Order: sequence, then structure tokens, then C-alpha cells
Amino acid sequence: MYELFFEKLAEKIALTPGQQDIIKRYLIPKKIRKNQYLLQEGDVARHAAFVEKGALRAYSVDEKGAEHIIQFAFEGWTISDMYSFMTGNPATYNIDALEDSELVLISTNAQEEILKQIPEYEAYIRLQVTGAYMAMQKRITSMLSLSLEERYINLIKLYPNLIQRVPQRMIASYMGLTPETLSRVRRKIKNK
Amino acid sequence: MRTRQTIAVIGATGSMGTAIAKSLSKGNYRLLLFTSDKSKLKDLQKEIIATTPGADVEPISCSYTASWEADVIIVAVPFAMEKEVADKIREVANQKIVISIANPLNETYDALVTAPDTSAAEELQKLLPNSKVVKAFNTTFAADFAQPVIDGKRVDAFIAGNDNDALETVSEIVQAAGFNPVIAGDLSVSRILENMQLLLIRLGIKYNYNWLAGWKILHQ
Ligand SMILES: NC(=O)c1ccc[n+]([C@@H]2O[C@H](COP(=O)([O-])OP(=O)(O)OC[C@H]3O[C@@H](n4cnc5c(N)ncnc54)[C@H](OP(=O)(O)O)[C@@H]3O)[C@@H](O)[C@H]2O)c1
Repeated sequence: MYELFFEKLAEKIALTPGQQDIIKRYLIPKKIRKNQYLLQEGDVARHAAFVEKGALRAYSVDEKGAEHIIQFAFEGWTISDMYSFMTGNPATYNIDALEDSELVLISTNAQEEILKQIPEYEAYIRLQVTGAYMAMQKRITSMLSLSLEERYINLIKLYPNLIQRVPQRMIASYMGLTPETLSRVRRKIKNK
Repeated sequence: MRTRQTIAVIGATGSMGTAIAKSLSKGNYRLLLFTSDKSKLKDLQKEIIATTPGADVEPISCSYTASWEADVIIVAVPFAMEKEVADKIREVANQKIVISIANPLNETYDALVTAPDTSAAEELQKLLPNSKVVKAFNTTFAADFAQPVIDGKRVDAFIAGNDNDALETVSEIVQAAGFNPVIAGDLSVSRILENMQLLLIRLGIKYNYNWLAGWKILHQ
């Protein structure tokens, strides 16, 4: 139920079995089905969700009702509306499941409790936040300065199974393109 | 809350499980209904959808799976069966809200079987140490759910628990069921709440309230 979670944790920090048991006490195992929401815009994000199995996405909706995908999360990724999770203000993202998924949820309170008891956990959170920040910086830089072909190739490197698991229109939404433009980009890359 | 919460009802075909399921199916909830009798569950699902066409209800044949998917778990089985249920769902109820509705009555309905220094809710908390047990719906009769306004007054429904977020979530659920939620205190207040219902049951039998009765605090 928490295998991948502790595997990922072990990549970053060393924990004794006793410390793992303490962390386990604070985790919420949660199954969610395809198309169900984990979070809707306007609610406070009380949890960060680690994906043990499955796939989710975070997206925002503009005034015209169009969806803009901010992030995908597959096995081993964490997803939330970080702004809302950190500040307790209402979320601006919606998060839903693209497949039947198994998650490990951590609440803000649980995170505080774990930090009190296991100071090493701080390093894990720091590495996670740094990682998320770097990913965000990369995404912004690539939006501003790379060609569409380069952006598409980088995206596939970031999420190797993306094409098999996510419909084209969602990949287009993530890149800020129309599906037609995306297929043109893909054709161009193929013909090279 | 806009995000639809998933509630597992363990013991959904009983008097309380059925009343709670019917009532909450009208709100923004997804309900997972569990008991061992699959055909009774199917009938209940059909009945709910017939009265509330958009209801999001699903019979589920395993209490472990239902609780794994749930955000909130309602244990609507007789008090004596709670240990068996807790043993099955413990792992997947970790850190989740578990609602204790039990009144631990003896067979003649004139006393509680629990010791004075504990309650059914606290016993459930001992069985599920990492869950957030909240006492609710024990002071409302099953029949009250179909008629939460009695004699022109909205029935009070008392809630007790140790976790503030959990109390808030359960208050919303109680309100969605049509009652007036009143947070009474921490989980040990369940002792008082369970005794209050013992009194109401004894009076109901004595004066023939016909199981349609409830509590209302009058105040300025
Ligand atoms: N009735 C009320 O007005 C009222 C009011 C407040 C609180 N309560 C409390 O609510 C609880 C339920 O009372 P009730 O009147 O609804 O009882 P009930 O009608 O006898 O229903 C009990 C339910 O629990 C199920 N069940 C029994 N053993 C089980 C087990 N080991 N695992 C899973 N499910 C099991 C039964 O399923 P099967 O039919 O398949 O056996 C049935 O669906 C009690 O604790 C009671 O004190 C009742």
C-alpha cells in the first residue's frame, strides 16, 4: 500500500524501520476512480497526494471555460495545489484522476506531526520542494524560449508514458496548443 | 465543500444504515454501501435511485475496499460487531474519519453495557488508534431521518470528537442529513451522548413516542 512511497523516500533520506512506522501512522491510503475529483477549485487543499498507482492531472479553468493542464502525476509523483496546501487559501486548481488510482495522502497537520518526531523528514520535504521549483522553472523557460518541437521532446523525456496514457488533447492543453498544432509538431518530428 | 466526499456505510441495510444512506444520497456525496447480503444492497441502491435519480451510490462487496476508497466511514453495525468490522478496515481507515453511531444498549434496553468511564465511541477509538473517531447520529432515531423536523423544530444532532477538522466535516454531513449539528465536546463526551439516548429510548417506551422523537435545546 505504501511500497513506492517508502522506496522514493529511501532514495532521499535514510530511515530506520521504527521511523517508517511512525510515518505510516500519519498516512492516508486512498483509492480514487477515473474521472473523480481529488480537489475542486474553491476548496482548500488539505492534502498532498503521492501516486502509488495510476495517473492524475491538475488543471485550471479560464473565464471562457477552457481547461489548462498544469501538471500530470504518474507513479512516484506528488500532486496538490501547493499554494492552497501551504497557505490554507482556496485552491485555484482542480485535480482529478485520469485512471483508477491508489494514492497516499498527507495532510498539513500530519506533515507537522511527522516533522516534530522525525527531523530527517525536513530534508525530504526540502528536496521535494526544490525539485518542484526546478521543474516549474524548466517549464517556464521552455515555454518562453524553446521551439515547439524541443518542448514536445522534453515533455516526452519528462513523462515517458505520456502518449500511451493521456489523450492528445490533454497533452495539447498542457503545452498550451490546439490539438491541430500539436499533431503538426508531432508530424514534423517524425519526418526528421 | 465542493469536492464530492466518498462515504462508506458499513451495515448499510440496517435501520440506521438505510436511513443514513437515503438521506445523504440527496447531498453532494458518493456513497459506498456494504453489508454481507448483496441482494439486499442492490434493492437499497435501486430504491435510493428511484427517489433520488442523480444519487451517486454503489453497493460494494468488501468492507476493506469500501473503506479504502472512502474519505469518511460510518460504522452502522450493532455495538457487539464493531470489533470485527474494525479488524477488517483498520489498515485502510488510517487517519480517516470514522463515525461511531452506536448506543451500547443491553438486551432489555434499560442500561448500557459499557463501563461508566468509557463509551462505545472511545472503545472504537481504541480499536482504530490511528483513525479520527467522531460520535454522531447516536441521538437521532432511524425514523427521524425521514422527518428531521418534529413538532415544528429541527432536531439537534450532537457530535463529539478530538479533531477539529474532523468535527467540521461531520457537522457538514449532519447538516446535509437535515439535522441541526451541535458540537458537544471531545470524544469522552460520547459517554453523556450515549446515556442521553438511553434516556430517550426508555422514555419512548414508557410514553410511546413511536420512535419518532429527538432532542432540542431551547435557549435564548
Ligand atoms: N435504530 C436506531 O434508531 C438507532 C439510533 C441511533 C443509533 N443506533 C445505533 O446504530 C447501530 C445500528 O443499529 P440498527 O438499528 O441500524 O441495527 P440493525 O437494523 O440491526 O442493522 C445492523 C446492520 O449491521 C449489519 N451487520 C451486522 N453484523 C455485521 C458485521 N459483522 N459486519 C458488517 N455488517 C454487519 C447488518 O447486516 P445484515 O442484515 O446483513 O446482518 C445490518 O445491515 C447500533 O449501534 C445502534 O445502537 C440505532
